[in-house]
Amino acid sequence: MSISRGQYGAHNITARNFICVAPQAKHVSVVGDFNGWNRSANPMQRGGDGNWVLRVDLKHGHHRYAYIVDGQVTLDPKAMGIARDDHGERVSLIAVS
Amino acid sequence: MDSGAMKSPATKRSPRSGTSAPFSSKRATGRIHPVITFPFRHPANLDDLGELYSLVARFDADQQTYARPITVMDCKTRAAMVKSPRHLKFRDRIAARHSDIVDAWTVDTCQMWYSGLGAAFERGGPNDVYWLIPGDFNYGSCMGKEVLSHLHDLPEICDELQEDVCIGEIATDHNNSKQLIDTYGTFALLYNWFPREAQAIRSCTERPRSEFFAVRHGFLKDMLHRRWYAYEQTVVMLLHAVIEKKTISRYLVGNISDLPEGRDSLSSAMQQVERTERVLKSFWREQHQEKAAWSEHYRQLEAQSEQVRRTALIVLENLLK
Repeated sequence: MSISRGQYGAHNITARNFICVAPQAKHVSVVGDFNGWNRSANPMQRGGDGNWVLRVDLKHGHHRYAYIVDGQVTLDPKAMGIARDDHGERVSLIAVS
Repeated sequence: MDSGAMKSPATKRSPRSGTSAPFSSKRATGRIHPVITFPFRHPANLDDLGELYSLVARFDADQQTYARPITVMDCKTRAAMVKSPRHLKFRDRIAARHSDIVDAWTVDTCQMWYSGLGAAFERGGPNDVYWLIPGDFNYGSCMGKEVLSHLHDLPEICDELQEDVCIGEIATDHNNSKQLIDTYGTFALLYNWFPREAQAIRSCTERPRSEFFAVRHGFLKDMLHRRWYAYEQTVVMLLHAVIEKKTISRYLVGNISDLPEGRDSLSSAMQQVERTERVLKSFWREQHQEKAAWSEHYRQLEAQSEQVRRTALIVLENLLK
């Protein structure tokens, strides 16, 4: 699982590709403070290689996020950092600049 | 580094209310205080320090975001500059130009932190973040430049996400001395003296002795007014953070897996394990000495600790010789 940098947009927004490696999963989405931790806001698309991919526009700054793999909260093993969500649970961290 | 982008507002949504709110409204209005610990020994060349202070100059110019940087210099280092005009010139024309220099008599790096963070704290306010930057790092190398490019994330994470402390991690391979010391020394000793807290620390970071960190005003205030240890102060800070349920985050600032710069000698590695044990012993007594029969429990842990330390030293000897 990883994130790759997309192209720069206007108004300090950068597109980032979220990539979750979960070939056996039936449904994967990405949640974070950028979508209110809403599990249905950003469903990911299955790629041909079994990876789940989604490009998300993120404002500059630091964002907390996690993947929801078949209902289970899953950290990104390739995340740049780890922080806690509002409930004290570990989540992944991404910097956008 | 684009400082304008670093401080730009973003939008966040509250998980409970579902309403949008400008990110800046959650953000503190405080400033970031960079504190640089100047290398104790004069480096052979000044390229690394030159690279670091070109960044410090940028902080110094951005007064809206950053407080005036502070450089802590050991008085012995300053005295030795009399015989080294090149280093004296660097101090006077570069370091002193872009930062306020705190001259301090210190026994070890952690005491330099104490002097520098303390001086910064006295200038700071409740919403401020304090950021330690060790000067003895090869910032002029490719890997060093990568680390420099990520360092600003540490105080920004504390600021934006309201974290009490953010630890900067440098990734290493399994046989790197720093990794070996932490795996067989630091964590093994922590599991002996503070098993519950050690698990909590390891869930947050694999680098409990990192010198790259940022800390919020309130937590630094607590730490400054407690006993400060000459060694391994990051471990002590993390123990306090876990005990007091502070928020800890970590962020990857670079990777030195393929480079030899991070390697320590066997002697240095052994010393680091030994002094970690000394600090943990002292800290444990401090936490438990009010309890009945604490000394009996202490002797039991001390006996186990000796076995842990001996094992760690055997491993280090086998792998670092």
